[in-house]
Amino acid sequence: MILRRRSFVIKRMPGFTLLALACFFALYMPLAPLVVYSFNEGNNIALWEGFSLRWYQAAWENQLVQSAAIRSIVVATIASIIATVLATMVALATTRTRPYRGQTIIYAMVNQPLVVPEIVTAVALLILFALIKQATNYHGYAYLVIAHSAFCIPFAYLPIRARLEGMDRVLETAAADLYATPWRAFKRVTLPLMLPGIFAGAMLAFVISLDDVVITEFVKSAGQDTLPTYMLGQLRRSITPEINAISTVLLGISVLMVTLIFFLSRKKTA
Amino acid sequence: MKLAYQSLLAGVALTVSSLALAAGELNLYNWGNYTSPKLIEKFEAETGIKVTITDYDSNETALAKVRAGGHGFDLAVPSHSHLPIWMSEGLIANARVDQMPNFKNVAKEWRNPDWDPGRQYSAPWQWGSVGVMVDTSVYNGDINTFGIILDPPEELIGKINVAPEMNDVISSALLYLGGEACSGDKELLRKVRDKLVEAKPKWKSMDYGVIEKFAGRDLAASLYWNGAAFRARLKNPDVRYGYPVEGYSLWADAVVLLKDAKNVEEAKTFMNFIMAPENAGLMSEFARYANSIVGSEAFMPEDMATAPEVVVPEEFIGAGKFYPTCSPEVQKMYTAIWTELQK
Repeated sequence: MILRRRSFVIKRMPGFTLLALACFFALYMPLAPLVVYSFNEGNNIALWEGFSLRWYQAAWENQLVQSAAIRSIVVATIASIIATVLATMVALATTRTRPYRGQTIIYAMVNQPLVVPEIVTAVALLILFALIKQATNYHGYAYLVIAHSAFCIPFAYLPIRARLEGMDRVLETAAADLYATPWRAFKRVTLPLMLPGIFAGAMLAFVISLDDVVITEFVKSAGQDTLPTYMLGQLRRSITPEINAISTVLLGISVLMVTLIFFLSRKKTA
Repeated sequence: MKLAYQSLLAGVALTVSSLALAAGELNLYNWGNYTSPKLIEKFEAETGIKVTITDYDSNETALAKVRAGGHGFDLAVPSHSHLPIWMSEGLIANARVDQMPNFKNVAKEWRNPDWDPGRQYSAPWQWGSVGVMVDTSVYNGDINTFGIILDPPEELIGKINVAPEMNDVISSALLYLGGEACSGDKELLRKVRDKLVEAKPKWKSMDYGVIEKFAGRDLAASLYWNGAAFRARLKNPDVRYGYPVEGYSLWADAVVLLKDAKNVEEAKTFMNFIMAPENAGLMSEFARYANSIVGSEAFMPEDMATAPEVVVPEEFIGAGKFYPTCSPEVQKMYTAIWTELQK
């Protein structure tokens, strides 16, 4: 967005269009057959037998898919709310204070889930939660919610922090000048201004939680299959287009969310 | 908004129900898409025990979770190749399956498998074999040999697929050359390597998902599993499944009671339940693999009960064998051969 205003225009670089098209092709081509075959009439994911919505209907009526989908949405909702609240606090603490020792370390630690391989986190959580499960005999959803909240924090944090950094400090300073208490200045000035960032962060966190496989597979207790782990379980036997249909819906939700995030974060420069 | 509210309610209900560990519950940890919903409905109706199914996608995942403890599962369904590991690590309790009332229905060849001598620990779930699929409209000679793949007849060259499973492919080649699966005989393994490398140019692919390719007649032969061969025949009536007479490997998944199970009685009830012919029939009807229960054919769909891919013809029963996971040294040599084959 900054680039657009400068005189250097990347769009005019030689080969830009071709390279961009190639990248989009590589990114989206593999998804095309998946989506196309979700509308297949036949039982097959590689042999076209005509258009039909039967697999969408089958997935919709499949009790296992239903309960896994509800579980996914509940976990993602709760986890993204927790992650967003925490991420907002961290974002404020790393941008709206005087620089202090250890600020960079905090930044790095919050973003740890982006860097540490997911399988490492998954195995670590498996071992830790196994101990807690044995000690407390509690097997509920708290484990999944905690795990999801934790790895969603950086995804919520980054857009919120970007928003805070892009915001003009003048308004906040003005509020303080006019004797607003820090809390009041935050409530009336900072918070409303950073709201688009918070929404973007929450939605990103929601999508990330919704799509997670590895950590969920290792953390889930009995009867806690989410939609992605349910789909993973189907792979050992021959796959029907039902999986394509579910994938297409998940893909649709993700695309929708990302589009919303894009519009939310675009507003700030307008 | 309304939907979100409903989902939240559902979520709360789920949390509450999982908190209340009331009597009459059972937690089954099984491969995904492997448990017949009808079987579970019938079990719940007959016993009043509520079953919760959780999926896994590989023996490794299942082993890792159960090994860590605190998993909350009562029953799991490991493959025969991994069952000895579960036993040696003390993850399994002795359910005395052999003394359960319905054990009398277990076919005699399944009463004393090498991987569970005396069958005290595991109740049979489903099983299958590694053999060859052939489109007999292309080649109508003898198909009961791995020669179809390793020394293919003229008609099949360029139309052969091989399942990309290291253990199944190399073990089959070992059996074909007169050895035993997991043999550490270096001389023989060298021959296996040469044979595979020599045969590979005659193959078309090393891939999964062969059913549709046999249906579309893109392939005429494949080293593959019996369940897929059965489903392929329903789409292309010329497909036949060969049981190699030089020996072929079998696999089986079996239900075991976990040592830290909370619902031991319910779990044993379930193990006994699945050994009744009418229930084993339901199992096979859904997953389309054979079970080990005498008389269950009567409760299978017609096309399955008579399928030679599911019910092994008498003369080929003896050639099928179970092989454990190979020793690490042999596994290393397998990998070396496999890498060379992939080049």
